[in-house]
Amino acid sequence: MTLFQKYILPYFKQYKGLMTASIFLGTLTFLASSALTFTAGYLITRSSEMPYNILMVYVPIVLVRAFGIARPVSHYFERLTSHNTVLTVLGTMRVKLYDALETQALFVRSRFQAGDILGTLADDIEHLLDAYVRTIFPVVIALFLFLFSVVVLAVFDWLFALWIALCLVFIIFVYPYLSLYLLKKRRVQVKEKKGSMYRMLTDTVFGITDWIISGKKERFQKEFTQVRDHSLQIEKKMTDWTYSRFFQLQMLTGLILIFVGIWAGLQAQEGNILPTYIASFTLVTLPLLEGLLPTSEAIDHVPKYQESLQRIDQIQKFVPEEKNPQTKFSIPRNPDIQLTNVTFRYEGSEKPALENFSLDIPFGQKIAVLGKSGAGKSTFLQLIYGALSPERGSIKIGGYDPREYGEQIHEVLGILNQKPYLFATTVKNNLLLGNPDATEEELDQVISAVKLKDYIYSLPFGLETQMEETGQRFSGGERQRIALARILLKNTPIVILDEPTIGLDPITERDLLATVFSVLKDKTVIIITHHLIGLEKVDKIIFLDEGKISMQGQHHELLEKNNRYRQLYRLDSGEQAL
Amino acid sequence: MDKNLLRYKGSKKVMAIITMLVLVQAIAILFQSVYLAKAIVAMYKGEQWKNIFFLFTVFFLALAVRQGIQWFKSKVAYRFAEQTSSYYQDLLLEKMFALGPRVVRKEGSGNMITLCLEGVPQFRTYLELFVPRIISFFIIPFVIFIYTLQLDKLSALILVIVLPILMLFFVLLGWAAEREKNRKMASYKILANHFVDSLRGLVTLKFLGRSKQHRESIASVSEKYRKATIRTLRIAFLSTFSLDFFSTLSVAVISVFLGLRLIEGEMSLLPALTVLILAPEYFNPVKDLSNDYHATMDGLHAGKMIHRFLEEETAADDTDEQAFGHWDENSVLSLQGIEKHSAEEKRNLLSGIDLTITGFKKIGVIGLSGAGKSTLINILAGFDQPTKGKIIVNGVELSHLTYRNWQRLINYIPQHPYIFSGTVLDNIRFYTPDATEEEVKEAVRLAGLDPVVAEFSEGLQEKIGQGGRMISGGEEQRIALARALLDPRPILILDEPTAHLDIETEHDIKSRMLPFFKNKLVILATHRLHWMRNMDEIIVLDQGKIVERGTHEELLQKRGKYWQLVKAHQGGEKVDTVSKVYTSVF
Repeated sequence: MTLFQKYILPYFKQYKGLMTASIFLGTLTFLASSALTFTAGYLITRSSEMPYNILMVYVPIVLVRAFGIARPVSHYFERLTSHNTVLTVLGTMRVKLYDALETQALFVRSRFQAGDILGTLADDIEHLLDAYVRTIFPVVIALFLFLFSVVVLAVFDWLFALWIALCLVFIIFVYPYLSLYLLKKRRVQVKEKKGSMYRMLTDTVFGITDWIISGKKERFQKEFTQVRDHSLQIEKKMTDWTYSRFFQLQMLTGLILIFVGIWAGLQAQEGNILPTYIASFTLVTLPLLEGLLPTSEAIDHVPKYQESLQRIDQIQKFVPEEKNPQTKFSIPRNPDIQLTNVTFRYEGSEKPALENFSLDIPFGQKIAVLGKSGAGKSTFLQLIYGALSPERGSIKIGGYDPREYGEQIHEVLGILNQKPYLFATTVKNNLLLGNPDATEEELDQVISAVKLKDYIYSLPFGLETQMEETGQRFSGGERQRIALARILLKNTPIVILDEPTIGLDPITERDLLATVFSVLKDKTVIIITHHLIGLEKVDKIIFLDEGKISMQGQHHELLEKNNRYRQLYRLDSGEQAL
Repeated sequence: MDKNLLRYKGSKKVMAIITMLVLVQAIAILFQSVYLAKAIVAMYKGEQWKNIFFLFTVFFLALAVRQGIQWFKSKVAYRFAEQTSSYYQDLLLEKMFALGPRVVRKEGSGNMITLCLEGVPQFRTYLELFVPRIISFFIIPFVIFIYTLQLDKLSALILVIVLPILMLFFVLLGWAAEREKNRKMASYKILANHFVDSLRGLVTLKFLGRSKQHRESIASVSEKYRKATIRTLRIAFLSTFSLDFFSTLSVAVISVFLGLRLIEGEMSLLPALTVLILAPEYFNPVKDLSNDYHATMDGLHAGKMIHRFLEEETAADDTDEQAFGHWDENSVLSLQGIEKHSAEEKRNLLSGIDLTITGFKKIGVIGLSGAGKSTLINILAGFDQPTKGKIIVNGVELSHLTYRNWQRLINYIPQHPYIFSGTVLDNIRFYTPDATEEEVKEAVRLAGLDPVVAEFSEGLQEKIGQGGRMISGGEEQRIALARALLDPRPILILDEPTAHLDIETEHDIKSRMLPFFKNKLVILATHRLHWMRNMDEIIVLDQGKIVERGTHEELLQKRGKYWQLVKAHQGGEKVDTVSKVYTSVF
């Protein structure tokens, strides 16, 4: 199991101390309860022999109390230690996963389409904590108890020890692996069914209006119930096995107890042990086996971890090789952007996403880029910030290829995307991400530039307001303004806005654009957009179509000369019916 | 205790059966323990092996009965839990359809799915575990206590005193831990969510050039989280500790007292050993109950959520039919004093709506976000019911429109038509699974989908939706249009169909939709003004009320709300002033 070696074992090495402590305390817990039973059995038998002096049982009396306290105490510390261990591991794993994702942040969405992959990965790591607490620790503890019991028995009678070892092997090896094998197929089936139930229900919840309008909800209910019932049937078979396994293991426990009892009786008969110990040996079987019985259940969880590990492993596969550390750049203050004959093609597609594309953006110009989805807008952006490399042609920002800047590219380009992420912390902390050293005055300046100052200061906590406090959520337009303020604080010479107004109503849209152009008047602005209103003053409007420029020019010029543009503009402004 | 537990179908019967089984089980436990003690004593005294084997056999049989009953009991509980939870899952689905899109959106689509697919199994686990556990908790310790009383009064006394003390500590400490957790909930939640928040915001961090530095904050927050969690756990684990401590210690104390009296000759070995074996069994049901505490609590909570959702008000059953006939050019629909109150937002989403719509008119509904456009559309499309007022269709007076034969008259195109997971063909034929290939091809052509389909390697068989190929907003609209083209109905309702599209796509899709408007009643809600020029009548909504009605020209002349809206939109320099007026009004 290479996944195990790759993602679990290293932490055992890294946190040797914590791991050992958790396992030691866990083993101690079972040993203490076994010792309690053993001494209690001895105490009672010995006492029944009515020794003339109470001092004869003084030691067992003390021990019984000591073990009685030792068990709960060591159990308590075992739980704390093991949780502390896994939480420490969690921290390290999180950083590791973060590193892996950080290097490919811009491509995660396109590489892993499945829903909320990031949320799933975060959950995966937390599930892996169970791997330690619910599987690895109990199994290792069981192994120790197994070894302990067999070795101690072997001191008295190695042949019998061998026989008991064989019986115990059933409990800690045969049953767990048999279960894994037996349930394997069913587990896959249940997962499939669950997946399709999930898909069906999602389709229904999100497509509920279509189901209602189509008048076919019975069809859905029938199909869903069918899948559900099938899944339940398989689940039932699985639980049947777990119940039956429990029964079998309990019966096996009973048998082992009888074996040990009879053995102890025989040993006493032969004079190898005192008869006083018969009760002790017989009864100690139960608390010891209590430490071995959970193995099957612990192993049952393994497939779940495998699934999580596979997902994490998949992410690691795409981690690009570390680039050489870049030399520090002196960031150009007034960079021009030049794209010359740029062609780019995505892997596996014949048609280029951008073809022979040339564009000069002198410093300070405002450019708007429009186009249908798939026309090449995102490709154009990703080429500019160096996330993609052109197949042919050259891209220069301030004289350098964007990729030469490395991470420093973000000191040249500020990007405001369609749904800028605002973190679940205060407004102030969100702003400070733009520039951690910003002063109070600078913060005030930017929020007043984006016209939020009055609003934010009218809130009870001002800049310390949490982004997502109940009842005070910021609207779409306000969120964009906060993100814009953050970009302003970053103060890069070039700002790229990627569809910043989608989902806003026309008035909010217009206001936001007006703010954008007024606060960014000294910078180069490239705005990707879907509407024409609000762009009357930009230096150039470009329409992309199938990777090429299909229309370009200044608003008034296009309005005058270009029929199609006129039509679109009048439609957008509501002046024309079509 | 959960009062609902007695309400479930067959629950009383199941409880009765389980109670009987647990009683038998308790007796089996007594036999098992007594015969084990007897066997040990027999060996100790060096009795005949034949006798010892017999005693062990009885022990083993008693064990088999006990565990056999356990098995059977689990099966009974499982079947009950499975039937009950499936029944409630069906009710949930039924309810979801009855409540319609508005409630589903309010509850959160994700929450609905989680409740149905994860809440229901949790609820099942709760039923499966809790019922047998709680019955064992009441019966088994009691039976053991009674039996111990016969053997040794002092031990029985210890058992009976310890149990309430143990429960008291368990509950008190559990309560203290809960309080501690709640006290720190807010900061705890931030710490716990920090990681996922960071991952979701990774692209933004990258764009801000802060992604490398943020690594440190992941490490430090994880460390803080660890410390905070351990601090809470120290208290939380105390409650299990108390349970462990009292039960283990009382076994130890009992054995010491037994020993002392054995020395004095006040007791004999057999009863003493029996008591020693029985003592741990006395505490087992409590331990089982506490072990499953979390699973039980989750399930109980899920159960409450399910009941709460099912109690949500649905007006009438939407399966009824009403005899208002068909919709043609002479049909009349009028709304009188329609009001929609939202209990959550504590305000009227719509109020005093009086409106008459006739024949095949084209009606535009305009207003800013929150003006009540979607609420009105939902009522007209029969997805939701008004809280007040009446609706008259062709002379038939009704209180709402959520009737099947009304919905059957409607084609509905929302802003984001849902794409089902399946092929393009399945999606287009969603309403008309029997449409022929020619019909589909024609719809594809009219909706402007043919260049899109031509690019798919599988053509119409290409998988889209969840798990399939991603398609753009414009393509979604085209599919919705194709669906409607295959199944044309006399009323077409559109809710903001083009606002999110790029202007070229919007232009193209509009030109394809307009011909489809012919000979239909069209109701179109949007804030895109250009649509209004294609409408016969415009309804301007503001704060849930109709503030203006008329044609585009009439409303412009009036220089009222509509005019303001148009000016604000085209505004240029005057934008700020007009929009201020506008936003202050809304």
